[in-house]
Amino acid sequence: MLRKLFKYEVKSISRVFIPMWILTPVVALLLSASIRSMSLWTENFLSSTFMVAGSGILLMIMSLLFFGIIVGLFVMTILFIIQRFWNGLLKDEGYLMFTLPVKTWQLVVSKAITATFVSCIGIIVGIFSCMILAVFSTSEIIESLAYVWKYAFRDILKIGPEFWFYLLLSLLLLVAGIVGSIYHVYVAMAVGQLWQDHKVLGSCLSFVGISIIVSILTNIVEYIVYGFGVFEWSYVAGNAINTWYLLFTLLIQIIQIMIYHVITERLLATRLNLE
Amino acid sequence: MNQMLIQCQNVWKSYGRKEALRGLNLTLEGGKIVGLLGPNGSGKTTLIKVLNGLLQPEQGLVVIDGEGPGIYTKSIISYLPDKPYFSGWMRVRDLFELFEDFYEDFDRARAEQMCKALQIDIQLRMKHLSKGTKEKVQLILVMSRRAKLYLLDEPIAGVDPAARDYILSTILNNYNPEGTVLISTHLISDIERVLDEVVFIQNGQVIRQELVDDIREKEGKSVDELFREVFRTIPYGGGAW
Repeated sequence: MLRKLFKYEVKSISRVFIPMWILTPVVALLLSASIRSMSLWTENFLSSTFMVAGSGILLMIMSLLFFGIIVGLFVMTILFIIQRFWNGLLKDEGYLMFTLPVKTWQLVVSKAITATFVSCIGIIVGIFSCMILAVFSTSEIIESLAYVWKYAFRDILKIGPEFWFYLLLSLLLLVAGIVGSIYHVYVAMAVGQLWQDHKVLGSCLSFVGISIIVSILTNIVEYIVYGFGVFEWSYVAGNAINTWYLLFTLLIQIIQIMIYHVITERLLATRLNLE
Repeated sequence: MNQMLIQCQNVWKSYGRKEALRGLNLTLEGGKIVGLLGPNGSGKTTLIKVLNGLLQPEQGLVVIDGEGPGIYTKSIISYLPDKPYFSGWMRVRDLFELFEDFYEDFDRARAEQMCKALQIDIQLRMKHLSKGTKEKVQLILVMSRRAKLYLLDEPIAGVDPAARDYILSTILNNYNPEGTVLISTHLISDIERVLDEVVFIQNGQVIRQELVDDIREKEGKSVDELFREVFRTIPYGGGAW
């Protein structure tokens, strides 16, 4: 059933996000081409002022377009996370979703997986587009990147498997951070829908309230753990990355996600308040 | 004797301080068309939402086909809410796919036939359909299931008399004869001819439950007349209307 729900969610995103994901690197490529043409025109002494001005205008338009599309992708991802949960479960569409023969946790998880997927792809597309921009803009950047990569690769080989462990750990932390943020929004909306009127205001206040509570609790936990000197009180202890610190942060993040999930699921299963 | 399909015992549900269901008791057998009749705010929609698992009662027992509201009961209930529940981006055929995926008893061929008869293009997105067509699509989806229990919440409210006839004939021609249809409404006269049984609900309690034939025979009244008698309100300033 989760797979079927996921299929339905993917359908809902494909119309909007797939064109955006394709368009972003294309615009990056066009922008880098316009940067290149600009530098070529200005370097060439025979070029007319008209050509230089024209390519300057083109560069400005492409820069604005690229900036706009990156901001648009970011804003749309956040809106998507909120809207698919709010409209999909707590408004009229909720009448359809909550009468399907599926468990409430499956509804929540299918939304969370899709939102995580959209966020991760958004980040990858953003990074990829910036790389395109860097690589194709000038030949110097390609050379510098090749130089950096050569030495970075040598160091990676020197560090050995430890590098891949930290890379994996960092990626897990990043994904857990994304999932945690998504669930933070979900739990705020699940609490906010309990308001008889002003559900949106309720959700916003819940979001702030939960942030404060989580921040206090995290500080208390960290104080207890570090106060007893279990771990070094820093991200980097000496020159080596503190593995325990990273693992502990990941564990806290996972616990936080689980708590958020249980609260969201329980509230929707037992206190659903559709209009 | 038909098997018991719905059993509610001492069901309580409130919204804040307002009690919507107040110790409601109800039993319904399978294979009937039942009218859930009561004035606005009497608890009809709340009862339907409790039956289909959208709301959890604070107290009391709800059993549908031998089980409490959950995955099984949702799989045998076909629910028509009193508002459209689609995403605007979905095409009619997407909804058919969704129903086909989740409900084993959904008859897609029947749904497509009904759309064809009404000249509804299944490639169209919901946001491009008129309000009336959206309601028809929703009714087609609900009635294309071979469900054990149909919960229809105000299916004829807010539509013109011709549309009411269409809705009622769609229900009558397409419901699973072995299943039960529970229709909530306060527009009795339009629906009376199709009902086998009526349940009168007021202030969150069932105040009367009777076979339509018995009402006609014993009381010599139509259901509409009885409804007006039971739920008569004295107008402000006194006197009868």
